[in-house]
Amino acid sequence: MSKKTVEIPLGSQHISLLEPVRFKFECENEKIIRVDSDVGFVHRGIERACTTKFKFDTISTVVARICGLCAITHSLSYTVAIEKLLEGEISMKAKYLRILLLELDRIHSHMLCLSHTCENAGFEAMFMRIMGDRELIMEMQELVTGNRVQFDFITIGGVNRDISSVKVQELRKTLTVLTQKIEGYIEEFENNWSLSLKFKGIGALSLENAYKFNAIGPLARASGLKIDVRNEIDYLPYDKVGFKMQSRSGGDIHARNTLRLDEIRNSIEICNNILDGLPEGEIITKIKGKPLGETIVRFEAPRGELMYYVKGNGSAMLDRVRIKTPTFACIPAFSDIFVGQDYADAPAILASFDPCLSCTAK
Amino acid sequence: MTKIKSSLENIRADIEAFYDASQWHFITLNGLELKKDVLEVQWIFSKYEALDELIVYYVEIAYDALIPNVGDIIPSAMISQREIVDMFGARIEGSAKGLYLDEDSLQMPLSSCAYNVK
Repeated sequence: MSKKTVEIPLGSQHISLLEPVRFKFECENEKIIRVDSDVGFVHRGIERACTTKFKFDTISTVVARICGLCAITHSLSYTVAIEKLLEGEISMKAKYLRILLLELDRIHSHMLCLSHTCENAGFEAMFMRIMGDRELIMEMQELVTGNRVQFDFITIGGVNRDISSVKVQELRKTLTVLTQKIEGYIEEFENNWSLSLKFKGIGALSLENAYKFNAIGPLARASGLKIDVRNEIDYLPYDKVGFKMQSRSGGDIHARNTLRLDEIRNSIEICNNILDGLPEGEIITKIKGKPLGETIVRFEAPRGELMYYVKGNGSAMLDRVRIKTPTFACIPAFSDIFVGQDYADAPAILASFDPCLSCTAK
Repeated sequence: MTKIKSSLENIRADIEAFYDASQWHFITLNGLELKKDVLEVQWIFSKYEALDELIVYYVEIAYDALIPNVGDIIPSAMISQREIVDMFGARIEGSAKGLYLDEDSLQMPLSSCAYNVK
């Protein structure tokens, strides 16, 4: 550090952070000129536990505990990897129900991020409004799975619960209410000074740097990089339920916020399409055997690409479960974005990344 | 998934020749203990907007071998290189220990030589 600069830490405990991560900013007056990051605070050893403590048919429940926000994506990624190794095919109904849960999860996760962005902008009323409305999603998840957070809905061969016509009606009603609420948010995020002008041009990631740092998720798409795993996989029929790739070009906090709102709109559309066209059939198919060989499965978690590499040896214990989480992969891009920004904007920029340290410290 | 075997001597040149940042998305580095002293290191890529087109470059090496750093070719690889160093105790040029694990954590937890710091 030269004499003209000052080092300011953000984290590991900080009022604007929900989870432990530390960024060390080297600042010249108000400007950040260099960033160091540290994510090693609560490593839980889940990858090791998956190959030493648990049999392959119980691991879906274990990996769901990596994160409360994208539990469904973790358990689904692992389960699909096992289904691929066992060459099992599941029913179309189970695939539709899996997408339904993935998209409900994306909606409530994006709403959480938007509410924290409001909190960082000092717009506490909007924070409370979004958090209150998020309960609608939690209730829908509980209606479908029986739980609000840790669903344990996904199982090898399908899903654990069917959905009745009464529940379908209830979900449709709630999605209609939610749609109206989201339209109200769009108005606020586009026109309210605290959430629009204040965030335009702040914390921007250029398209060139999005490619350079292999950015993923809303961070990449807000910069115009069209990467969304839902567009690159065929394990789930996203092409039949109305998925549309969303992207923006600003790359700043405002673009990330509005992109998330666009994605919520599309997720609601997907959920409605699923409820309208839910196929008949079994929700679970028996898949027998022990996993042998290696495979890679990717899904689009709310924060971006989640990758599972699974290697089995034909026994009940696996050789390797490798989990690549979205936030960890985006840290090089995060660090690049901070450089050149005012230190005062750092908490708002960080909130707009929607970091998940629970996933990172798996 | 297409796996391409390389060697410690050639992996940098292979990745440099292959990697076009506008076409290929670098997903992560992966480590896999094959035997007590043999580590497989994988560099995993996917093609943008293609249906599950994955390329995996890999090398099989001894634990004490020095793995070349590809951070100048793929800047985002720096962080997953440090993860492999922490989790397996692998040696990667210019990649320091300590990003992922605390000093008093179980060291090299994904290796059969995992140990606790006294």
